Amino acid sequence: MNAKKQLTEGLITNNPVLVQQIGLCATMAISTTLFNGIGMGLSVLIILTCCNVVVSAIRKIIPEQVRLAIFVVVIAGFVTIVDLLLQAFIPALSSALGVFIPLIVVNCIIIGRAESFSSKEGVFLSFRDGVFQGLGYTCVLVLMCLFRELLGSGTIGGGLLNGASGLITLDGTGAGFRIIPEGFGIGALTLPFGGFLTLGLLMAVMQYALRKSGEKKARKEKEVKE
Amino acid sequence: MKKVIDFVKPAVILLLVAAVVALVLGLVDMVTRDRIEAIAEQTMNDAMQSVLPAESYEQLDVEPDGEVDAAYEAADDAGWVVQVTEVGSQGTVTMMVGVGSDLACTGISVTDSSETAGLGAIASQASEAGDNFRSQFVGQSGTVAVTKDGGEINALTGATITSRAIAKGVTTALALCETLG
Repeated sequence: MNAKKQLTEGLITNNPVLVQQIGLCATMAISTTLFNGIGMGLSVLIILTCCNVVVSAIRKIIPEQVRLAIFVVVIAGFVTIVDLLLQAFIPALSSALGVFIPLIVVNCIIIGRAESFSSKEGVFLSFRDGVFQGLGYTCVLVLMCLFRELLGSGTIGGGLLNGASGLITLDGTGAGFRIIPEGFGIGALTLPFGGFLTLGLLMAVMQYALRKSGEKKARKEKEVKE
Repeated sequence: MKKVIDFVKPAVILLLVAAVVALVLGLVDMVTRDRIEAIAEQTMNDAMQSVLPAESYEQLDVEPDGEVDAAYEAADDAGWVVQVTEVGSQGTVTMMVGVGSDLACTGISVTDSSETAGLGAIASQASEAGDNFRSQFVGQSGTVAVTKDGGEINALTGATITSRAIAKGVTTALALCETLG
């Protein structure tokens, strides 16, 4: 399995959110500002990669009967480490994401990859899988954040960029660039059900694109045959 | 028939994994604990400074009753800072209420809330709209209420419940200080 194929799988053809449809809960809850989206995406990426590597490294000694229990212990361990580090070093992100960081323990992306990939494949492949699947998750989150933040609250880069001076603020206080005047945003989009709508739209676009490219490929093969 | 080892082995391995994870967590906790505590204290102090500036604060012996969490007396008889938790629209809203020695509110700061983003969340944001909302409470005394309930506070648009919760919290804090003062 080469890196390029794994990357396309993580980002597009086997994207954790849009194609495998796992880890949706946090996706909908936190994708309201760019700061949250990138923070959550990177947290999941780091935890996923660490768990993949560890699970893969100990896959030969994990007994079949207790494998899920061991996955959960490993995942919970890494999640707690990331949670503590965020609280200590990036408190703004920790308070913005709140309970959704500890909830990564039950995020099915991580246990799903442990069960279906890293418990069967080598350490290096699992590492790459963690990074690419994590990137796929982050990309979807960022897309959703951009869409919901722009149309919902009328800004871009909330928490991360400072609209007044155009500087990057890492403490989550930046108000973002205001594109739509205050009060004209579609407030509903920032609510959880706006998240459902956004995710539904993204999935529809993804399915359409995947089908089109599939049809194109099939037509090409047919032409080659004729 | 299965041998004893088939039952024992998974348990021992699970125990070992858990032990290693626990050890690592202990180490991380050792590294981060002091920092997390310092940040919590700093946040608390910043919130108190913003509602009632004073050199130091002394915690008073107040029984938490579900609304009032804690009360502090500011140095030089400047007044009190009361931490109150009220029920908002999406969960609880915790706020710091500064009360001057004349029993009027000197400022509020929402320290912890999970109100709706873009609506009730404005109450805790460091934005112009948030500042405007919070500054309405300065100088209020007695019973504080939103205009809908016959008071003087203009509720945040689309967030009457959050605004009511904060008005109620301020009223509670003022009432407590009346008994203290």
